[in-house]
Amino acid sequence: MIKVFNLYKSYGGIAPVLSDISFDIQDGEFVFLTGQSGAGKTTLFKVLFGWEKFDRGQILVGGINVGKLNEKNLYQLRRKVGFVFQDYKLLMKKTVFENVAFAQQIVGANMKTVRAKTWNALKNVGLVKKKDSYPSQLSGGEQQRVSIARAIVNDPELILADEPTGNLDSEISKEIFALFEKINQQGKTIIIATHSAEILRKKERRHLLLKRGKLLQS
Amino acid sequence: MNLFSFDFIKTTFSNIKSNKQLFSLSVATNFIAFTVLGIFFLLFVNLDILFSSWDKHIQLIVYLDDKISNPNKKKIELLFNSNDKIDSIFFVSRDQAWESFRGKFSSKSNFVTSLNFNPLPDSYTLRFASGPDRLKNIRDFSEKIKNENGVESVEYGEKWISRFEQFMIFLRGFILVFGVVLFSGMILIISNTIKLSIYSRKDEIDLMTLLGATHQYIKVPLLLEGILQGVSGSLLALVSVKLIHLYIVFWFQGSLESVFRGLEFQYLTKPIIFSVISTGIIVGVLGSSISANQFLHRHNSE
Repeated sequence: MIKVFNLYKSYGGIAPVLSDISFDIQDGEFVFLTGQSGAGKTTLFKVLFGWEKFDRGQILVGGINVGKLNEKNLYQLRRKVGFVFQDYKLLMKKTVFENVAFAQQIVGANMKTVRAKTWNALKNVGLVKKKDSYPSQLSGGEQQRVSIARAIVNDPELILADEPTGNLDSEISKEIFALFEKINQQGKTIIIATHSAEILRKKERRHLLLKRGKLLQS
Repeated sequence: MNLFSFDFIKTTFSNIKSNKQLFSLSVATNFIAFTVLGIFFLLFVNLDILFSSWDKHIQLIVYLDDKISNPNKKKIELLFNSNDKIDSIFFVSRDQAWESFRGKFSSKSNFVTSLNFNPLPDSYTLRFASGPDRLKNIRDFSEKIKNENGVESVEYGEKWISRFEQFMIFLRGFILVFGVVLFSGMILIISNTIKLSIYSRKDEIDLMTLLGATHQYIKVPLLLEGILQGVSGSLLALVSVKLIHLYIVFWFQGSLESVFRGLEFQYLTKPIIFSVISTGIIVGVLGSSISANQFLHRHNSE
């Protein structure tokens, strides 16, 4: 699913943010990307998502050479990847249903498909009853579940979740991780960036450990 | 119309609804700019009609010397006949001219009746074939004929025609320059309105790009919004120029008819109306494209 080879990225400072990163992730894997704050987890995600450019190296995501993409065909990569943001990035003027349907509408799905897929995604994250609520009427955990529903609604092959439980308490975090495991069982490749030691202790999954921009464990 | 296009239209109107004031302000500014341009066009159209009507009446009068010899007269007539641009030739003898003059002015002036000799010369009145080069043909021929032996003078009102022609050239140039300035101004206005519209929906547009929207999907509603601003401004301006036209016709038609020799004060011609609307569309497309492209380019190179 993902092949990264000799990746370098810097913001112009002395030390690169990402230095000589190489790893492979197979289809259907569930991987944790760990490391302290500032280790480069978010930057690595942004680079994988085509959100930021990189200086050197090769990245293949779902067969797409990320380095060859330009601003006009970047959407091809974005449609293969569902991104779950730490700050949820929900549209406050839209209802839960509309927020999830939004991801379907912008890829040009017809109304019938939009309704069916949005309904399924909400069912998957257990938010059907809250479909008409606005984000401001939801708890943090519920908002993150809407964000996950939006990430899976277009049926992407890969889900990147950047600190999805960073703003949530441990009970809600468990629910969110359980949700990711359920999605993984449906065949999706999942990478979760987290620095929660508790979660890492409990989950026996593959870890990619970043320290000051270098990959120590893959 | 497929669902995708319907979605664009829906998004466009929802954008306008959420930025009503901004949209109205842009339409109002475009309306004022197009109205000013429309008034100049109105002036231009009517002066052009007036000029064309004068042009039709322009004739070249060749006055002959009283002592012209027969061979010279024949030579001059030959020159007239050999010019294929000349439509008709009327010879007016000095007696006919005097009779006609007396008929017109004897009741108005005692001087005419008290005059006991004929001061007028023989003359030829030449009408030239109509066409865009008519005036030039008259001018060229008059230059050629005026130095012939036996020709006393030629006349076709050259001075005032030249002045009017120069004025029309100036007016055309002025409208062109003024139009370009207004055009640039309108592009700037629409571009900034769309920019503000984009920034008011920045979170949504950012999210669209992150979720995999194509540039086309993001740009089309912004382009439609720009086109609507330009077209609404131009249509409102055409209506206001029509009202100005009706006002002038209602209150001043009598005076205008006497000045314009029976010509009616006209509204803008169809090509000009279409040009104004097309300009509205072009201004809208350019203005919104500039902002949308700037935003998307900046967004992707962050």
